[in-house]
Amino acid sequence: MKFLTKINRNYLILLTTILLFVTVSAYFVLSSILIHITKHNLKEQEQLIEKQIDVQSILPNIYPIIEVKETTKINKPEHKFSTILIENKQEEEWEEYLEYSNTIQIKNQFYSIKLRQSTFENEDLVSILTATFAVLLLSVLIVAFFVSKKINKTVWKNFELNLKKIELFNFTESQSLELSSSNIEEFDRLNNVVDNLTNKLKSDYLILKEFSENASHEIQTPISVVLINLEEILQQDLNEETFKKVHASINALKKLSSLNQSLILLTKIENRQFNAEKTIPLNEIIERKIDEFSVLSETKSLKISFNFQAPFICRMNEQLAEILINNLISNAIRHNIPNGEILFYSNENELRICNTGLPNSFTDVTIFNRFTKGNSKSFGLGLAIVKNICETNQLSIHYSTSDFHCISIRKI
Amino acid sequence: MKILIVEDETDLLIGISNFLTKENYICELADTFRLAEEKLSVNEYDIILLDIGLPDGNGLDLLNLIKIGHTKSGIIIVSAKNSTDDKIKGLDLGADDYMTKPFQLSELNSRIKALIRRRHFDGENTLVFNEIEVNTDNRSIVVNGKELQLTKKEYDLLLYFIINQKRVLTKEALAEHLWEDNIELADNYDFIYTHLNNIRKKIKAAQGTDYIKTIYGMGYKFTDQ
Repeated sequence: MKFLTKINRNYLILLTTILLFVTVSAYFVLSSILIHITKHNLKEQEQLIEKQIDVQSILPNIYPIIEVKETTKINKPEHKFSTILIENKQEEEWEEYLEYSNTIQIKNQFYSIKLRQSTFENEDLVSILTATFAVLLLSVLIVAFFVSKKINKTVWKNFELNLKKIELFNFTESQSLELSSSNIEEFDRLNNVVDNLTNKLKSDYLILKEFSENASHEIQTPISVVLINLEEILQQDLNEETFKKVHASINALKKLSSLNQSLILLTKIENRQFNAEKTIPLNEIIERKIDEFSVLSETKSLKISFNFQAPFICRMNEQLAEILINNLISNAIRHNIPNGEILFYSNENELRICNTGLPNSFTDVTIFNRFTKGNSKSFGLGLAIVKNICETNQLSIHYSTSDFHCISIRKI
Repeated sequence: MKILIVEDETDLLIGISNFLTKENYICELADTFRLAEEKLSVNEYDIILLDIGLPDGNGLDLLNLIKIGHTKSGIIIVSAKNSTDDKIKGLDLGADDYMTKPFQLSELNSRIKALIRRRHFDGENTLVFNEIEVNTDNRSIVVNGKELQLTKKEYDLLLYFIINQKRVLTKEALAEHLWEDNIELADNYDFIYTHLNNIRKKIKAAQGTDYIKTIYGMGYKFTDQ
């Protein structure tokens, strides 16, 4: 979830809670205030009536709000408030009244007084007041919400911009990461930290890159010296035993050199020194490569078939794509049996290469490990390189075996 | 044919120069950037073998220098870096070919001969070995006046033999020449026999002699001795 969305969502939840709480409390507070006022009014009314009886000896009676009767004794509790329902004959409705009952004594005469006031209208008043209050509060909160959203956007704009720059930043390229500064201290501190980290990353990367290239150079040159000398020895009239020894030395030397190059290639792939610069249909490379490999597949009399339902296109470095297909095909040929088969299958999301071969004990994990050789004379780096290429190019790779040994590459 | 060899590793420099001298080239050697610069300012060379990793300068800068003053020279870059970027950069700057260390002398010989043919230094487009005649312009091989019907690989292989005649070539070297780095050929070279047998059959069909001698089953030599 986005930072601002999160903040806004929390804000909205808080706002709704506040609104509900304030409205409900406003309702109860207003109701109790109104009841308090009504009670006060009824008591004042009582005093007026008392005065009237005392001075004018008139017993006022207005049903249902004033009821005064002469009574002989005090048989009811004094100053009692209660809520009662009285039928309104005109509207045929029961209405709620607050009733105040008391017994007073004026000149040796007891009077029972009952004063009532309808609370029906109170309810309406409370509702209207509460609603008005709620609407006002809501509009203030909504305005505040949009204002803060706007402010947040401006404040976080630079941050968003820098985040995008960091996302697009590739430390294998030469341009440096330039973050725009804001006048917010925390953001500028973050920029500094990111700047330092990327600079360190860049320099480390360059050192490593230089090292792997230098290592290659330093090893290949002495190998060249030995190789050309051995080649010259081979030109002399040698007996079979010596010839064999020189021949074996040449081959071992070539293996050493190619092992060195494979390991450097692996490092380079892991360092992401190959930029994915092109969209490449891998099945087209397969069709081309199979032609180059035809001599090898023909010596084993392999039957090769294609089932390309749709081209498998992915974005990667051209050289890596070639190496990927090269290694997959040579693997499928090398571990095949005479008169075996190779099947190629592709659709938009998957590329699969299956070959016949002797059963092995490899699992989906171990087959891609470095120096896993099976029974061939290779180094066992071919599939490790394939896996590395896949991993650095958003592809997943799996090995399965039943009748065929299958390697399947899928887009993640 | 005059060749300038620029290479900082002295043993390699001497090894290459000994070989090329035997192949009747006149070799001059430079083991530093400065020496190469000096030699280039005085002399003209037909071919320049250039190692781009020199201790006192980048070979690619030397390439610029050569391209300004020595437009006729053919340039082969020799690099320890098997890097496509360097290869593309070198070829863009005007190099004619790019070889990765380690290489075999027979392969170097073949590349130099190909460069000479491309540049037509002697106006030479035919190679003759007894009754076998190779025309490199239209890639045809004629034996006793009869043109052989060869596949591309068979032609390449026979040409490689004729260029490196009287030299022992291992089957691995032959395979590498045909496929360069494209194939990881670790354990099976049987297809070389197939190619060689086809070539032998085709030459015999044209009443030619089989000059391909097998040496202890590990190497081959193209010779009439």
